[in-house]
Amino acid sequence: MKYIPTIGIECHVQLCTKTKLFSEVDNDARGKEPNSCVSPVDYALPGMLPRLNGEAIKFAIRAGRAMNCKINAYSRFDRKHYFYPDSPKGYQITQFYHPIIGEGYVELPSGTKIRIEHAHLEGDAGKLTHSDTYSLVDLNRVDTPLIEIVSMPDIHSAADARDYTKELWRLMTFAKVTFGDLYNGNMRFDVNVSLAEEGATELGTRTETKNLNSFRSVEHAVEFEIKRQTKLLEKGEKIRQETRGWNDATGESTPQRSKEEAKDYRYMPEPDLPPINLSQEFIDAESAKLPLMPADYRKKFAGLIPVETIEILLDYPVLVEKLAEVDEKYTKRIANLFSSVLLAEENASLLNDDMPSKAQLEKLADMLDKNELSSTGGKEVFIKFFDKEMHFKDTETIAKELGVVQENDAGALEAIVDAVLKKPETQKAQEDYRNGEQKVIGFLVGQVMKESHGKANPSAVQEILKNKLA
Amino acid sequence: MEITREDLKHLADLSNFSMSDEELDSLQPDLQKIVGYISELGELNTDGVEPTYQVFEMENVWRDDEIKEMEADREALLNLTVEEKENQIKVPKVL
Repeated sequence: MKYIPTIGIECHVQLCTKTKLFSEVDNDARGKEPNSCVSPVDYALPGMLPRLNGEAIKFAIRAGRAMNCKINAYSRFDRKHYFYPDSPKGYQITQFYHPIIGEGYVELPSGTKIRIEHAHLEGDAGKLTHSDTYSLVDLNRVDTPLIEIVSMPDIHSAADARDYTKELWRLMTFAKVTFGDLYNGNMRFDVNVSLAEEGATELGTRTETKNLNSFRSVEHAVEFEIKRQTKLLEKGEKIRQETRGWNDATGESTPQRSKEEAKDYRYMPEPDLPPINLSQEFIDAESAKLPLMPADYRKKFAGLIPVETIEILLDYPVLVEKLAEVDEKYTKRIANLFSSVLLAEENASLLNDDMPSKAQLEKLADMLDKNELSSTGGKEVFIKFFDKEMHFKDTETIAKELGVVQENDAGALEAIVDAVLKKPETQKAQEDYRNGEQKVIGFLVGQVMKESHGKANPSAVQEILKNKLA
Repeated sequence: MEITREDLKHLADLSNFSMSDEELDSLQPDLQKIVGYISELGELNTDGVEPTYQVFEMENVWRDDEIKEMEADREALLNLTVEEKENQIKVPKVL
């Protein structure tokens, strides 16, 4: 029996507004002490009232437009009740009935379109750290603005699930609505998986694997769930509708809650927040601020650099944005430097530094084009762009200081070649070459390079040598 | 609508209240009365009537995205807790 998997994904994106969704405290708790970014609104002292952050609405519009979604003029907030130490209020403020972001779609690099059902604004919960006998509560994350993106069940493989989450990450980071730091939980994924026999008209019973925080764990969790459910179905057993937790270390998921304990959230309108009713002008003005998206860059760079390189670079918005600044005639060279040098493991830390300027990069590409730099020399100069001492110097100055500018001047090169050909230690090689042993030209080029302290352009040297020895 | 003892237990569980049998016994008829009273509203025909979410008719009330110093900080929060550890609130183990 062949089973077709159907996958829907919910994604929580933490928005990088300056303040929280409902209080005026610092929203960026990265690297900060526990409970240092909290206000009485966050920890729900009696009588505290939420005050909506207008910027979060604007961010939501941009995020929605990044996913080709309709923006709903009218939206409002509801309370979702549950009792848990990560939520001092005893409820989460969310948009259950009237979300701000309506239907849309995300197009994967393969061309597959995944439809978005809706996306809504809500406040995040606090962070719990569990130990053997107690749990610790850090409320820094309480009411960090989130958008929860709910996909339609349009995904049918683990690979597409991975590609979808990765594309969402790209869209949200290019739209600049999130820091996109997965390690710090800026984006978290819940995957719903069900299997149905091929040709069946109804979907099977689904399970939800919650709180995945990398594309790889999304892919593995889906693979695991497809295998697990297939095995059960083949044995004639039923799938239990349940929530599962993923363990990256073991590569397995385990049941967390079953349907019997299903939550009863008792949604009600949030009385402290008046509804949002946006004018078309407001929506249009915010939509217009959406920067270029991955799809735009794919079009822009098509034909200039290979598709595989584009896809690699799209994981680094800062590189793609820089690449888009440089003149098209240099795009390929700069893209190669980015992908071969900057993305090499040993240089990964450079990505955190300030990017080189457009002028520095264009001059570097120009010098490479003109053979004023060898490819090795070019890489050396490129790396120095990230050096604090060198960052503000122009390309030529850096190349000169490194002593990597190639000698291309034919006259100067000839003089060096002549000097080398007069040396006694090269006489035998010259004779061998004239007798048809072409390989020895390499030795002679090497001698010239040595004589020039590495600054001669080797291919120019080879040409001169060939003419002289002909 | 009948409020059973089970409904009451369920509600208490949702709010993490522990209730003695006596409390459940006395609350059940009380809640039944309250719900019965409210349910009279159900007799009205509300077809086509939009639910009222608020009565002020306000819209688009929001603030600027600027950080303000709060008078009540971590210390104020931790002073309110029964137990703290490493600047966090210590609670019975939950999972």
